[in-house]
Amino acid sequence: MASNLQELLDGKIDFIGQQLVENLVHYVLVIATTMSFVAGFATQSLRVTFGILGTSTLLLALVVVPPWPMFRQHQVEWLGGGGGGGKENDRK
Amino acid sequence: MFNEELKAFRRLGFRHVLLQILNFASVIASGLMIWKGLGLFTNSESPIVVVLSGSMEPAFYRGDLLFLTNPPNQRYNTGDITVYKIPGADIPIVHRVLETHDVPNKRKRSRSKDAVKTPQNSSLPNQLLLTKGDNNLVDDIELYQGLEWLERQHIIGKVRGFLPYVGYVTIAMNDFPQLKYALLGGLGLLALLQRE
Amino acid sequence: MHNIVARGNNLFAFLSSCTMALLAAIALSSFLFTPIPTGVVDITSLKVYNVNARRYRNRKQEVALVNFNLTADLNSLFHWNTKQVFVYLEAKYENTQGANNTVVIWDRIVRRKEDAHINFTGKNKYMFRELSTSFKNVPPANFSLKYNVMPWVGLLTYGEAARTSEPIEFPPVS
Repeated sequence: MASNLQELLDGKIDFIGQQLVENLVHYVLVIATTMSFVAGFATQSLRVTFGILGTSTLLLALVVVPPWPMFRQHQVEWLGGGGGGGKENDRK
Repeated sequence: MFNEELKAFRRLGFRHVLLQILNFASVIASGLMIWKGLGLFTNSESPIVVVLSGSMEPAFYRGDLLFLTNPPNQRYNTGDITVYKIPGADIPIVHRVLETHDVPNKRKRSRSKDAVKTPQNSSLPNQLLLTKGDNNLVDDIELYQGLEWLERQHIIGKVRGFLPYVGYVTIAMNDFPQLKYALLGGLGLLALLQRE
Repeated sequence: MHNIVARGNNLFAFLSSCTMALLAAIALSSFLFTPIPTGVVDITSLKVYNVNARRYRNRKQEVALVNFNLTADLNSLFHWNTKQVFVYLEAKYENTQGANNTVVIWDRIVRRKEDAHINFTGKNKYMFRELSTSFKNVPPANFSLKYNVMPWVGLLTYGEAARTSEPIEFPPVS
């Protein structure tokens, strides 16, 4: 039970998921920043600018921070230990 | 719970801990260097200040960050926002210049008994200034602690740039000192325990 | 990036870099707007009185009373990065001892574009004193309407909207 909770709090994702998250954060934030500047400049309103940046960041955080299954599709297959304890290690 | 951390700490080894301490020190040293360098560049003892009072509202609120310059060969104009510190007062004040009087240099000695030292640049006329906070009804004469006019030597700088809210952290730290120690301790621990 | 804390940290770090860039861009964008404020300053009367100014060290001194009409259109100073405009009327003169003086005699804070049309008739808000306590023989003064644009983020800018066409003379004490 406790280890389950720990795992949930940890929210580990696999390597490919990490790559995906990194790219996502990068591209989405750069685009959101540019868009918020352009939209704010067009409407002459700083509220628009920071509204766009804020909401897009919140949405991005929702997508990126929790360990969604799509970031865990490429779990690393660990080889079993040398002493034939493979079965036991599989549980991890 | 702390056993885990302690174990991690031991695993890092003595040299590693020293390296982390060195890293920490270098961060602090470069911060200080940037601060002092900026001070040299802007000729101001404190080139970035946090607004502490509401006397310039609605222009500046508590916690706003101000960037100052204090060019030695430039006079101050009315409408400039200055940061000044009267000897004896403990906090600098951010207020706008209401009156300037450029007195030719030689007359100054006879009329001002408050003169402590000669101004940095003697080719410049000696300026007598009167300031006022935008949000105050009257000028600052009561704040001058007996001085009749503000002089160049009291002025830390002229406000050039503005960044809202950022300085609120320091105000929060002053209002709740526990926060300061918690933050410092947390940062220190993180810096020491972080691997690589 | 492997766990929640690292991902949150990464997002926050990159967000702060983006915000910095955005703020810098907003501050720089202020320079794209060229302000063309217009206005008229009309000094209707200038009188000099003897008063007892209790606030100041020289209590018995002369002060000038200025009546003026002001019209100004500051619309062009308001753009997305304008927090407020500080407008002030200043008097500039040289006194008999050769000191150059500028004295703000009236000011106003304009916070909204709707209030950018200024139409004011009245007298000076702040006491107009002279260093030597007397306006006797002081050369005429120029009056000008100046402004200071204060941004939400970035640099403060200054300018002049109007000035009197010719200097106004200080009359003898009345």
